[in-house]
Amino acid sequence: MWKQWHFKIALIVLLVHLCNPVNTYGQYSQKTDSAKYVRFLPDYVKLQFAGGIGLLSIGVGYSFFKEKLEVSYFYGYVPKAVSIDDLHSVSLQVTAKFFRFKANKNIEIVPLNVGWFIHHTFGNEYWITLPSHYPAEYYWWSPGRNAGIFLGGEIKTKLLSNKTPASGTAFCARVGSRGLYLTSKFGNSAIPFRDIVEFGFGVALYR
Amino acid sequence: MITKNKLLIITLALTALSACDGMFDYSPYAIDFSEENMNVNEKNVSKLILKEPDDTLTIAFTGDTHRFYDQTEEFVEKVNQNPAVDFVIHVGDMADFGLPKQYTWGNSFLLKLTVPYFVVVGNHDLVGNGLTAYKEMFGALNFSFIYDNLKFIFMNTNGLEFKFNGEVPDVQWLDAQLSPNNDFSKAIVIFHIPPMDRDFDSSLEETFSKTLAHHNNVLFTVHGHLHGHEIYKPYEDSITYVNVYGVENMKFNLIKIANNQFDVETVAF
Repeated sequence: MWKQWHFKIALIVLLVHLCNPVNTYGQYSQKTDSAKYVRFLPDYVKLQFAGGIGLLSIGVGYSFFKEKLEVSYFYGYVPKAVSIDDLHSVSLQVTAKFFRFKANKNIEIVPLNVGWFIHHTFGNEYWITLPSHYPAEYYWWSPGRNAGIFLGGEIKTKLLSNKTPASGTAFCARVGSRGLYLTSKFGNSAIPFRDIVEFGFGVALYR
Repeated sequence: MITKNKLLIITLALTALSACDGMFDYSPYAIDFSEENMNVNEKNVSKLILKEPDDTLTIAFTGDTHRFYDQTEEFVEKVNQNPAVDFVIHVGDMADFGLPKQYTWGNSFLLKLTVPYFVVVGNHDLVGNGLTAYKEMFGALNFSFIYDNLKFIFMNTNGLEFKFNGEVPDVQWLDAQLSPNNDFSKAIVIFHIPPMDRDFDSSLEETFSKTLAHHNNVLFTVHGHLHGHEIYKPYEDSITYVNVYGVENMKFNLIKIANNQFDVETVAF
């Protein structure tokens, strides 16, 4: 039951961000007098393809410490076209961005980002705490929530900055894996590395 | 200018996409098996019945392969070197976390077997959406076939995974399967969890063992779950239970059947 709650809250948080009356993008929000509220607006919205968190996932991100650290929250969907059952999930990600340099006045490269994510799939069979009918510690992992790591890169451009309130558009790529895959690979040379890799691409619109 | 940029981006994206085909993961629970990973048990029955039986039927048993992929690969190589083996039975727990990807990995090695193979469902195979994955890859949880006048009956005995709901194992189905007819003389029953185990639905233990003895035609039963090897008669009905080695022991059991007699051997690899 609480899982439905979780799902609803996730959707509400996303909808509030995406359909914000103050608008997610900078120029608009400067016109409002609630400057304090603006601080809570996400720094970017992002659409991602694959990466283990949905065929498509959409999320919001916040930057901290001069854009060196980012926290983002995604809702991901896998349609029946690519899986027997469609899947809904959310993921929380923390990304450290150590390096950045300007290629020219319009393009900034942000390579070698290191990220950690925790991914929660919705549904009764994807439990988080071991259901009570099992003896204690019967299974050590949880199918409903598992964590992973990734390496990512980003190219920030000024695309769309002229015509929209956005400050720019970024193109991102990432390669990662998750604990359950790494554990499966451990000690098994017979499992190819490419099988445990989660590639993903994304487009982010910055405030 | 913008159109040019867009074209460049689209071209780059498509190139990257095609280069990484198969490396995109949408979810650990997405089930999108290729043809060779579907309906495996039924396909292997079709393959087996084309084979003319000889005097002795030789079956190689493995199971509880979990995350022992390297050992599974070695098991397959060893079995392929033995021309006497007629087919292989995996007694369950092929997917350690029940992940579709683990199903694909497990089956990728079994697909290299030169003889037919059959996989019964284990408790680990049922975690997450493993039930859906098993049905997609192997078919029905309870199934049987007849070969060389012998009926092979595969059963889901993973009661704990079904919250001990009183329906797993399906004893009525078993009784109907064992009901004698002219098509078979003896039956061999294969399941993952043995009836005396804590993970077996204890409310069905007695009915299950009595059903096995009811028609007096079970030659022996085979199970896994405990990873070790043992040949024993746990009930007064004197039906033999063969617990077969888990693959990590680098050993497997070979059961030879001739004239309704059977012999269990251990092979190291």
